[in-house]
Amino acid sequence: MLELIHFNILSVLLFSVGLYGVLARKSAILIIMAIELMLNAVNINFIAAAAFKHGGGLFTNFDGHILTIFIITIAAAEVGLALALILRIFRNKSTVNVDQFDMMKL
Amino acid sequence: MQYFWLIPVISFIAFIITSLVGNKILKQAWIFPVVAIILGLGIYCFGLTEYLQSRFDLEHCVRSSVTGMVGCNYSVGWFSAGVTGKETVDSFLGFTVDPLSLSVAGLAIFVALMVQIYSIGYMKDDPRFGWYYSVQALFISSMILLALSDNFLLLYVAWELVGLCSYLLIGFWYEKPDAKEAAKKAFTVTRLGDVGLLIGILLIWIEVGSFNMSDLFSYVASGQMESWVIFSISGLLFLGAMGKSAQFPFHVWLPDAMEGPTPVSALIHAATMVAAGVYLVARTYPLFVESEAMMLIVSIIGLITAIGAALICCVSIDLKRALAYSTISHLGLMMLSLGAFGYTAAILHLLAHGFSKALLFLGSGNIMHSIDDLDINRMGGLKSVLPGTTILFCIGALSLAGIPLLSGFWSKDEVIVSIVHNRNILFAISSMILVFLSGFYMIRLIIIPFFGTQNRDYSNAHKLPMVMLIPMGVLAVFVVLFGWVALYMPGLPSSFGTFLFYSHPKNFHLEPDIASITLVVTLLSFGAGYLFYVKRISIFQTFKTRMKFLITIIENKYYFDELYQILVDKIVLPIASLVALFDRVLVNDIGINGPGHITRSIGSLIRYHVTGRIYVYLGLMTSGMIILGILWLWIVRL
Repeated sequence: MLELIHFNILSVLLFSVGLYGVLARKSAILIIMAIELMLNAVNINFIAAAAFKHGGGLFTNFDGHILTIFIITIAAAEVGLALALILRIFRNKSTVNVDQFDMMKL
Repeated sequence: MQYFWLIPVISFIAFIITSLVGNKILKQAWIFPVVAIILGLGIYCFGLTEYLQSRFDLEHCVRSSVTGMVGCNYSVGWFSAGVTGKETVDSFLGFTVDPLSLSVAGLAIFVALMVQIYSIGYMKDDPRFGWYYSVQALFISSMILLALSDNFLLLYVAWELVGLCSYLLIGFWYEKPDAKEAAKKAFTVTRLGDVGLLIGILLIWIEVGSFNMSDLFSYVASGQMESWVIFSISGLLFLGAMGKSAQFPFHVWLPDAMEGPTPVSALIHAATMVAAGVYLVARTYPLFVESEAMMLIVSIIGLITAIGAALICCVSIDLKRALAYSTISHLGLMMLSLGAFGYTAAILHLLAHGFSKALLFLGSGNIMHSIDDLDINRMGGLKSVLPGTTILFCIGALSLAGIPLLSGFWSKDEVIVSIVHNRNILFAISSMILVFLSGFYMIRLIIIPFFGTQNRDYSNAHKLPMVMLIPMGVLAVFVVLFGWVALYMPGLPSSFGTFLFYSHPKNFHLEPDIASITLVVTLLSFGAGYLFYVKRISIFQTFKTRMKFLITIIENKYYFDELYQILVDKIVLPIASLVALFDRVLVNDIGINGPGHITRSIGSLIRYHVTGRIYVYLGLMTSGMIILGILWLWIVRL
């Protein structure tokens, strides 16, 4: 049977793939995509936790679903903001290679 | 009498005013201190007459069961140690008027007045005239405070203040390097004694629970103090007295203190400050008499000081140095008398010596003012140039040498009587030797400068202003008449011994055998001096050459200064540099500079993480997150 632990493992695996993407990609857009992947991995975890826990009586627990809606909303807003920043930097540096974004060094 | 506290306060106000405006009214800067002292003298005389007439009737005055004298105590509350409401120890600020404090305070005020009037003439052309008078006013205020205070804390404050004024006045002409060194030496050596005094006072607090002197005396009289505590407290207090009164081995500062102006030497180092040590021993006499061993130690140290200094005085060339050693010798005599249970004799000698020695010092000031030189061997025949000074100087010197009818004779006689009665034959013989030596050196000091052959040309000797001679004249009158106080004290049925005594009054009675022996020895010493220095008999010349070795030791002051210099160089300075090492390395470099240094080094390491590159930041964030997660798992879950 499917247990909660399987969904947790899936979520962790997706999260680590996303983490690898954040740390190891050179293009800013790919980093943003990997951040999205991390967020969605967390969504899966919340839905699974909600599915495997019974609410009062026979009702399903809706806590996970509500949190997921929140996270999707926030992810959308954040990606919009991030893409705007990327566009701004691209106008200055004509590249999205994060290796070349070192203007803030001491 | 309840206004006695005004005397130090008025002088202190004079000190403040003169130090603020002294430079502006330079030539008239003497006004405030002198006026303050005259007011103080007036208050004192009123108080003295009030004491003599009505001390048995006043409510503040009570006959002390320990000392036997009537003491009047006026005090206000000062501070309470401890939480109010619970058990507290209350300390009072007050002064006590009894014969001892009246005598010493009277001596101090009177000699100070004479010296300050004298200084108007002596220090006339000095550019720091105002500062001189301000420090004199401060000194007088502290000395009166010392004499009048009734608790040890106030005594200690006044003790330190007089030490400070002595330092300031010895080093008054600080352009001279000798004066600076002498001032430092005086302060350091007396400070060594003051450590003993402080520890003694703290021990008194621990034992008795109060700083008040009468509390201490009643505690001692009730027999609650163990004998070793009595011995140690009196020993420590005596250490303080030794420092201030230049007893052996703390005597080294007094001869060098002659670098200061001569009126300063007359006031501080002859009559008042050096008497503070004797006063302390006399004041705490109930404590001292409980310990036989301590009295013996006091006598022995007094004897050693007296004879040692008298020997040095016999070979001294500089006139002021000779007078300084004579002072040390007489202070030793006073300590010897106190140790021999001669309380009245010691205080009487304190007063007589104070007047006479001040007179002598002012006389040497006259010589200094006239011919600017104090080397005895270069004077001679001064009686033709300074006739008044000759007479006055002779009065003072003969008084100290012990000529009858002058005050020094009576007091010295009483001292010898107490020594003979209370100490064994060795002390008696040594005191006879002391009488001989003191007569001898005094005659030497009279003959060589004044009556000898004229050694130099006196045609450009400065004339002496009258303002310098009149105070000396008044002092000379006191020297002559004061002795009669020993026989008959005004306002009392009989002598000084019924005014100031310990535990029971002692009427003066002449002991003819002791007095005649003393007189014979004194006259012998006069004869010896005359033969030695005037006739220059050849026997004594061969004596001088045969004893060359001993005389060299004496002339070099028994090499005490060299010994102390070696001690300082070999012991004190290495320890001091060790302590300085501790302070510099441990406290400063490690304790204070250390944290700043460490912070700076850590900061310069950490600052490399601000690379500006995103993946570095992301990597750091990720690893931090992982570490936090592990910590959470470890601490919270397991």
